[in-house]
Amino acid sequence: MATGEPALTPFALAGAAEAGSYDPAVARVVQSLAEYTRWPTPRNPLRLCVAGPALHAGRLDGLRLADGRTIDRRTMPPSAVTPGACDAVYIGQLPPLAQRQLTTTLRGRGVMTIAEADPACRSQAMFCLSFSAQAVSFRLNVDAVARSGLRVDPRVLRLSAGGQP
Amino acid sequence: MSTARLLTIREMLGRVHLRLILFAVLLAAASLTLSGGLVIRSYAQRNLDLVARTVAYTVEPAVVFDDRQAILDGIASVADSGGVRQVEVRDPAGRVLATWTNPRAGLPDWLLATGNRLLWRRPATASLVHSGTRIGEVRITGNPEALLRFALAGAIIALTTLALTVIATRILARRLQRDVIGPLEHVAEVAHAVRTERSFDRRVPVAGIAEIDRFGQDFNALLAELQGWHATLTRENAELAERVLLDPLTGLGNRAAFEAALPRAVTAAVTTSQSFAVLYCDVDRFKAINDAHGHEAGDAVLMAIGQRLRAVLRQDDQAFRLGGDEFVILLAPVGGDDVVGRIAARLGQAMTAPIMLLNGHAVATGLSIGVATYPDDGLSPEELLRRADRAMYDEKRARSHNTTEDL
Repeated sequence: MATGEPALTPFALAGAAEAGSYDPAVARVVQSLAEYTRWPTPRNPLRLCVAGPALHAGRLDGLRLADGRTIDRRTMPPSAVTPGACDAVYIGQLPPLAQRQLTTTLRGRGVMTIAEADPACRSQAMFCLSFSAQAVSFRLNVDAVARSGLRVDPRVLRLSAGGQP
Repeated sequence: MSTARLLTIREMLGRVHLRLILFAVLLAAASLTLSGGLVIRSYAQRNLDLVARTVAYTVEPAVVFDDRQAILDGIASVADSGGVRQVEVRDPAGRVLATWTNPRAGLPDWLLATGNRLLWRRPATASLVHSGTRIGEVRITGNPEALLRFALAGAIIALTTLALTVIATRILARRLQRDVIGPLEHVAEVAHAVRTERSFDRRVPVAGIAEIDRFGQDFNALLAELQGWHATLTRENAELAERVLLDPLTGLGNRAAFEAALPRAVTAAVTTSQSFAVLYCDVDRFKAINDAHGHEAGDAVLMAIGQRLRAVLRQDDQAFRLGGDEFVILLAPVGGDDVVGRIAARLGQAMTAPIMLLNGHAVATGLSIGVATYPDDGLSPEELLRRADRAMYDEKRARSHNTTEDL
């Protein structure tokens, strides 16, 4: 799927070309996670904030959930992310400390957090994406999910990599 | 007419019992199998539908996330419990997303296929619905192995039970025979003994069963009557037989009795090597008494002579009236001529007293006696009788010479 942007540098192009191939899978995972998560009150549209530079967030625009709700994607610096402005936060390529700060801010406030650059899932994000040659999968931080103020369908737990009991 | 062997009651009871049991067991088995089969089939179908729905629920997120491995894991976690042969998950376009086959199929495929056809008319299906949208379908083929094993065990148990029941039937029939047919056989045996051995004193014992006892009592009463009739008949027959051999006038044996008694006496004498004597007697002046006083007087004389003979003779001696005025006496084994002579003398003496007639007259008479002794005078009955007869005539002639009277 070569939908790369012409403005990118060759290095970035190469990186984007590789990163861009994950975009549909990431979009699908994000959409599915949103579909299996319940907010205290239904959110429509669902405000999805992409915090920091994201490598695989290219397809997150204009997503539509199975029940018809739309996802309103907005990009903002981590400092601008507040619980009142976002229903879900896609945490991009941020250093671990910054990721941790962000998740601490959002904890218990009814905001879904998905970390792109935390394969070990130490940032206290609810979901952490992991990329393999074949597919995009995710890990689920049970502790973070429990403290999030959201309800996640328990069946999702089975799907998380290494998350099966 | 059929010449088939007759059935005994025991065989008949056994057969009836067996048929009854087989009928009852088969009826119960058939109805249980039918109703049980229908119930099991409906439960199996419902179970398969339930498994399908559970699989659909479990794998739904995996389908949404498009995670094939998670779909397989989800199926295995639900369907691995048995009762499921194959699970297929398809997307709405019909493409197969995942196929899971139970790795623990122990029975041959044709058997499983047959079982499947019997149990499930269709594979169970369940739609995968996510947020109101149909995102796929779960299709499950059942595994009838457990049910087949159950049916097999059931069949074995049923057959074992049937065998036990048949054995129990045999035992019951035997017991019934002992309690019911045994007494009946008693009756039959008594009846047979009565018929063949004339043992009218046999009676049917008490059986302890009301009907049979009533029958036995009537049978015994009948036997008692039969016994009475039989005794009467036997007695009357004996009397008749005796009467045939008796001289009605004197009560002594008649000619027939004598003709039977003489050979008997000879035989007895031969076997015991003893001697006996035949005394041939003739009444003196009998014809004259008859002519003078009538036949009634003659009869009275004969009766009186009979009485006097009996009075003189010993217990084992026998007297017969051959007819007219002729008497014969068989003297039981005698020691010697001495005894015979003494008895003959006593007989003569006994006749000397006059005989009183009904018309008031008294007549005097006497006996002419001829003696023949076995074995001295003869060995055969005819010889003995002839010798005694001749001796009697000799005697009578001698006496008529001595007296002027006509004897």
